Amino acid sequence: MQVSEQSELASTAIRPVPASRGRRPGWLPTSRGQAGWVMSSPFLILYVLFFLAPFIYSIVLSLRSPRTGGFVGLFNYGNVVGNGEYWSAVVRMAYFGVIQVTVMIAIAIALALLLDSPYCRAKKFFALAYFFPYAVPGIIAAVMWAFLLEPDLDNALKVPHLLGIASGPLNPLSFRFVLYAMMLIVTWEWAGYNMTILLTSLTSVPREVLESGRIDGASELALAWRIKLPMIRRTVAFITVISIIGTLQLFNEPMILNDIASIGSTYTPNEFIYNTAFTFGNEQLAAAQSVVLALITVVATAAFYGIMRRRFDIFGAVRGGRR
Amino acid sequence: MSAVAAGQPGGAARSAQADARRARSAHRTKTAIGTAVAAVAAIYVLAPIYWLVVASSKNTGQLFNSQTFLPTAHLSWVANFKLLFTVDGGYFKYWLLNSLIYAVLTAVLATAVSTLCGYALARYAFRGRRLVVGLVAGSLLVPSTALVVPLFLLEHDFGLINTYQGVILPLLVYPFGVYLMALYTADAVPESLVDAARVDGAGELRAFWKVSRPLLMPGMVTLFLLTFIGTWNNYFLPLVLLGTTTRFPLTVGLSAWASELNLAGAGQPLYPEVILGSVVSVLPMLILFPFLQKYIARGLAFGAIVGE
Repeated sequence: MQVSEQSELASTAIRPVPASRGRRPGWLPTSRGQAGWVMSSPFLILYVLFFLAPFIYSIVLSLRSPRTGGFVGLFNYGNVVGNGEYWSAVVRMAYFGVIQVTVMIAIAIALALLLDSPYCRAKKFFALAYFFPYAVPGIIAAVMWAFLLEPDLDNALKVPHLLGIASGPLNPLSFRFVLYAMMLIVTWEWAGYNMTILLTSLTSVPREVLESGRIDGASELALAWRIKLPMIRRTVAFITVISIIGTLQLFNEPMILNDIASIGSTYTPNEFIYNTAFTFGNEQLAAAQSVVLALITVVATAAFYGIMRRRFDIFGAVRGGRR
Repeated sequence: MSAVAAGQPGGAARSAQADARRARSAHRTKTAIGTAVAAVAAIYVLAPIYWLVVASSKNTGQLFNSQTFLPTAHLSWVANFKLLFTVDGGYFKYWLLNSLIYAVLTAVLATAVSTLCGYALARYAFRGRRLVVGLVAGSLLVPSTALVVPLFLLEHDFGLINTYQGVILPLLVYPFGVYLMALYTADAVPESLVDAARVDGAGELRAFWKVSRPLLMPGMVTLFLLTFIGTWNNYFLPLVLLGTTTRFPLTVGLSAWASELNLAGAGQPLYPEVILGSVVSVLPMLILFPFLQKYIARGLAFGAIVGE
């Protein structure tokens, strides 16, 4: 997401007015240059205090000794690199991300194209329904699904047993399946959100292009595949990156599932960091762990962009438009 | 002869009619299939919410001993409601109130701060503007996790832990909001109008207030909704920054209750309260959602699409 935003901020959409001097003061700031500073200062002060300061502090903190507080160089980072449990949480989320993000984005694209095609009734209702989970806090979604996936509470899970297919009630929250249960929950939460962004993006596809395609006898499926999808490919890349970042930071859902299904409190990297800082009180190591996680996020994002640019020319047009 | 001459165009018309009929019926079939697929997805989305509402009408016994997706003959809503607000020291009412306070204050202030900054970035070539743009864009890349531990330590040193402002102030830094309002300004506020106000002798701030702010209103509504929902749904930040139960928002409070469900010896597990509490925390938004959806969706998509 950030790359497109960045280029946009820097380029076409924003055309600043050059600062002018000698203008008669009507109200407080006398020049436009001052007005710019005055208006952006509330945000900038908050930004420095609550974003920049903690960000720099986390790097400083990660270079200090957990025991003495003195400078120890990359000691904590050595600890992170050598910690198998941390990396297994990272690898678990990478696996999770590859499956869940792919499936979710595919569902979002399919539903958006379906709601944009002539082959569906009650489109407004469906669009609204799919977007509903956005209004549900992640923590509530996790509680709700944890109850629904609990064999004691959900009779539907007993059906395969009653039919003689399974030896007992299904338990999606058992250790073997809980990762997939989590995929089900996260997909429920975010597929509709992504679909909404794609659907709005599809309205920017010029209708004349689609009309001329229809006149040439192209089927709706061909139009969707050959015209619509390529035209929204940058939005697809955008929501994929947001989803990758979200996956690496997963926290709410595993926390709740751990309360209900005991999967352990170091299931995801973010939980791991939380645990290091607040259960073991090792803030220095936690800072190093979060810096490493941030780096992994940046690398994953960059790698995704790299692949996309080479294979699908995702950002060529943006750079071209920048002049 | 005449029969053939008359027959041929008649046949062509008939086959054209048949084609049209076939096309219509193919269209009907495809529409049926498409709608069915959409309906299956809708069931996946809506069934859990339906279950939550149904389950909130059951007491603990009914939860474990009744049909999962059907309400029982005896609804326990009233009893559950009374329990929800009295059980465990009556904390729930604090959580509800706190969530409102956090969400409303954050949304109002974040909208104001982001709008001013976004407007300034879009309209003024002040010194250091490029630096500000760089900071805003770059901060979108930093995962919030990297900030939470040091934020906790810093807030601890400044006595902000366990306070309302301690939760609200970090949430006011919403770079996406600045970005959104910068784009929106470029889109919705014609430079000539602002110039006209200047010619009339209005200063920059007055020109902003009288001319630009009304034009920015739809964008500000979107931003307000995004930050309101974001704060209402937030869990990680308040979890870290708050230790006093009476300061919790709904998300942290309910997850505390949920974490006690499986603890042996924690007394009567609060299943019905967790479920009804979840309904209470979701329902207002679900009811308002059909009216708000357009604004929210537009804002989210605006940021993604203008980059196209």
